Amino acid sequence: MSTSAESGRRSSVIIQMLSGTVGRYLSMLVIALLLFGIIILISGRNPITSYRELFGSTLGSWRGFSEVLVAMTPMVLTALAVALPARIGLINVGGEGQLYMGACAATWGALTFSAAPAWLLLPLMIVLGMLGGALWALIPGLLRAMGLVNETITTLLLNAVAPLLVAYFVFGFWHSPMDTNRTPNFVEAARLPTLADTRIDLGLLIGIFLLAAFWLFMRYTRWGLEMRAIGGNPEAAQRNGVPVKLYIVIVLCAGGAIAGLAGMAQVSGYYGVLLTGFSRGAGFLGFLISWLSFGNPVSILLTSFLVAVILTGGSMLQLTTALPYAVINILLAMALFVVLSGINIFPGRRTT
Amino acid sequence: MTALAILGVLSSALFSGASLLYATLGETINQRAGIVNLGLEGVLLISGATAVAVTSLTGNPYFGILAAVLAGGLTNIIMAFLVVTRKGNQLASGLALMFFGFGVSALIGRAFVGLRIDGLPRFALPGLANLPPRYSSLFQFDMLIYLAIPAAVFVWWLLFRTRWGLGVRAVGENADTAFAAGRNPNLVKYQALFAGGLLAGLGAAHLTIAYVLNWSEFMTGGRGFIAIALVIFSKWNPIRAIAGALLFSGAVAFQLLLQASGVEISPFLLDTLPYLLTILVLMLWGGSRKYAAPASLGRVYMGTE
Amino acid sequence: MNKKPLYSVMGALMVLALLLAACGTAETPTEAPAEPTTTAQEPVQEEPTAVPPPEEPTEEGPCLIIGALHGGPINDAGYNQAMHESVMAIADNIDCVEIIEAENVPEEAGATTTIENMISEGAGMIIATAFNHQYPALELAGKYPDVIFEHAGGWEMSGNFANFFGEPPEAWYLMGVAAGNMTETDKLGFVAAFPLGWTLTFANAFHLGALSVNPDVETTVSYTFNWGDSAKEADATNALINQGADVITMHVDSPATVISTAETRGAYSVGFQSLHAQEFAPEYWISGTGYTLGDTLTWLTSTVLDGTWEPIFLRCGLWDGCMAMAPFGPRVPQEVQDEVMDVSAVLEAGDLVVFAGPIYDQDGNVVVAEGEVLTPDLMSSVDWLVQGMVGSSQ
Repeated sequence: MSTSAESGRRSSVIIQMLSGTVGRYLSMLVIALLLFGIIILISGRNPITSYRELFGSTLGSWRGFSEVLVAMTPMVLTALAVALPARIGLINVGGEGQLYMGACAATWGALTFSAAPAWLLLPLMIVLGMLGGALWALIPGLLRAMGLVNETITTLLLNAVAPLLVAYFVFGFWHSPMDTNRTPNFVEAARLPTLADTRIDLGLLIGIFLLAAFWLFMRYTRWGLEMRAIGGNPEAAQRNGVPVKLYIVIVLCAGGAIAGLAGMAQVSGYYGVLLTGFSRGAGFLGFLISWLSFGNPVSILLTSFLVAVILTGGSMLQLTTALPYAVINILLAMALFVVLSGINIFPGRRTT
Repeated sequence: MTALAILGVLSSALFSGASLLYATLGETINQRAGIVNLGLEGVLLISGATAVAVTSLTGNPYFGILAAVLAGGLTNIIMAFLVVTRKGNQLASGLALMFFGFGVSALIGRAFVGLRIDGLPRFALPGLANLPPRYSSLFQFDMLIYLAIPAAVFVWWLLFRTRWGLGVRAVGENADTAFAAGRNPNLVKYQALFAGGLLAGLGAAHLTIAYVLNWSEFMTGGRGFIAIALVIFSKWNPIRAIAGALLFSGAVAFQLLLQASGVEISPFLLDTLPYLLTILVLMLWGGSRKYAAPASLGRVYMGTE
Repeated sequence: MNKKPLYSVMGALMVLALLLAACGTAETPTEAPAEPTTTAQEPVQEEPTAVPPPEEPTEEGPCLIIGALHGGPINDAGYNQAMHESVMAIADNIDCVEIIEAENVPEEAGATTTIENMISEGAGMIIATAFNHQYPALELAGKYPDVIFEHAGGWEMSGNFANFFGEPPEAWYLMGVAAGNMTETDKLGFVAAFPLGWTLTFANAFHLGALSVNPDVETTVSYTFNWGDSAKEADATNALINQGADVITMHVDSPATVISTAETRGAYSVGFQSLHAQEFAPEYWISGTGYTLGDTLTWLTSTVLDGTWEPIFLRCGLWDGCMAMAPFGPRVPQEVQDEVMDVSAVLEAGDLVVFAGPIYDQDGNVVVAEGEVLTPDLMSSVDWLVQGMVGSSQ
């Protein structure tokens, strides 16, 4: 083969790669930044300096970068909580609720066993967190396995119930006249350890570990194979002896457990206290991230990172442009719209 | 518990529930066409902020209502574009729209936080005005509240007694069959989403300029999701939605009444009832044909859409 | 399908949305600031410990950058606006000070990012005004020993962290006196955010004030469980009015919704947090109190600037200028106004103490014994409501 043909093939591979995964992220970012830049412009501020602030504060300093990783932690876990059940065709929109219940259970552990040493208390809280989330996914799982109600609806509805239950406990037996919408502070032993003097807690490491485990599990284990079979063709899998109903319940609960773990990491690592309404859409963001990444673990990591950069940069934007913090959601939404509508900067090639 | 007290709860429920009913009616039309809009919260927020902005700027609440209604319709068009034209995933698109609504509403509303809105004029129906003041003051409503139940009837008539409604329901059952029957499913979905958005905008307008009388970030407080639950609870039937909206909205007043009578029920547990009841309703009647979801909606929930 | 018209529609919609958004942010509401009645006096001081003065100011830059964070919007006509105006007063009084402000800052750990951003922008003093900003601020105070932290409404103290606030209970008692006189149904309504010790104290003081002029009065407390959920506040206000209350007051961040709702229902209202509350009730306004901490914060800043700042648990009330009473509304008769001012004089002189025993709770138990007094440090942990009040104290 001549070198020109080889290099031609190489460059077409590069173009393919670019217009594939990387191109998708690039176009998502570029168009969204452009659109949001227009908003900043019309609001009377300078988009160039604003973006410099946004990226400078997050990627330009170690503190900023660490804050991005902090923001990323719950989303990595909630995205996995969606990706896992998605492999067998289940739609878990209930990350928010499972997160809250995991946090609630972990809080119970922290407050009840506050005298215990960290090496005992923290694993207990992790287990409690996972149990709380799993339990919250149990009813949807059972209802779906029995063919009664779709898990999409039940997980969605239970999302709204969970924070109400948390509030019931926070204002019930965890309440004291000195507290508003919070429980007492967690003792030091109940706090997940953080890295150096940043706020990055163990949750991130657990999340990355679980993502890797998920990838290995789906690829190399028998159960992973059976799950992929169910995801491909449930009836055929059933006929081949795969216990589909059992998988439905177990896998949805596993997803719930992971989201519950995210909740535990939030209250133990990040906050150190249980607040009503503490989740700012982490469950929903997880759903979006998992969906955008097609459930691919590496994509989940990258997309969570990107979303975290946007959200963290927004706090700095508030100080320098005086735009309300909530406005950063527009940038996030623009990026999502771009991907959802399949627009890309390579004309003629539709990214799926 | 006197009659007056119970009427008081009813009055509170009507006051608070009108906006919820409008939003539910809008979402009912959407879902009948086979589209679930998880971004309803965002639509409500954008419409609400628009209502406050225009009312403040023009001094006229009717312009505010008009603007909000339009804003709702237009925001739903974004959903339509993503889901119908670009065939994006409904759940993801809806959530993206929700975040969009968080941001845009904050941007629009920022300058109007803490400003006083005079609201819509309130009046009692001719007969009721003659009651002793303690009773008649309970039923001084603005026109949007009076129109809420008629609106539900209108939407029922629209969906079940007109050709257009038949088209919407047909598309919601099976877009391909509808297409074969000569309808344009995409156009119908756009129309349904637009109409749904108009109603949602009306609900948000009532909430902000006739009930709460000001704007603050995230003030809809989850009403979008409550409406979605309510649509399911009422089994996609606008008339049943009336009862549901009253049930879902009377909780605060009911809890206060119970408290005054010495019974302490946690308001949080009361608030969970609508959702738990919806799940119960689904479990008990989920299999029934009469109360089934529009089929293509079912496919959205199954992930096969 | 021809996509061009669709794209142009989308484009037009986008432009429309952006224009409206831009118009929104370009508008600035013009409000006439209410005239507070203040008398300058020395605030109360307690045990001091020394703290080193801030970094040497540069030639061109401001002498001090202050980072102020609020839990809600600064134009909420309530607590956040009162705090915002108090902070802005610093810049008005001291020319070389620069202020960075953040509103809607989330609670607890969410505030840490904002505070650290402010410090990275050069802030040498942080004023955290929301209740739940206390712990993140305290933690950062440990991390940044050269930055001064002032928190509003809490209790923690450390080497570079101090606390300041007004003293509302007496003001509430006065409001109760006015309300007790004005009510015709003998039912008062109190919309509260949380069953916080201080909230209960305020409600109790209000009720006691009303009781002192009207022994048949009943106060109902309804919780929204949120500092600023306006829809719930409207729900609560309507429910209270439907149960017969004709005077409504509140302890939530912004009085706007409660007062607007009361006004449209023809119920009297008593304001709190900010004197701007009166703008929402032109007709049925009785009176109200608001925080006017501008002079106090200016004084604190001046101590930071000249290096004499010490962590003080600073509380000052109506007669120190830290809180102010709003003018009376048009429907309040002269006799009621006079009575309120008389009681105010008696309270100021110390001849009357709001929480002097015997005080009974809702179940009839004695919570403050005869001859005893409820002291301020106990007020924050109150978990009872006075006899004759309806509502849960939990």
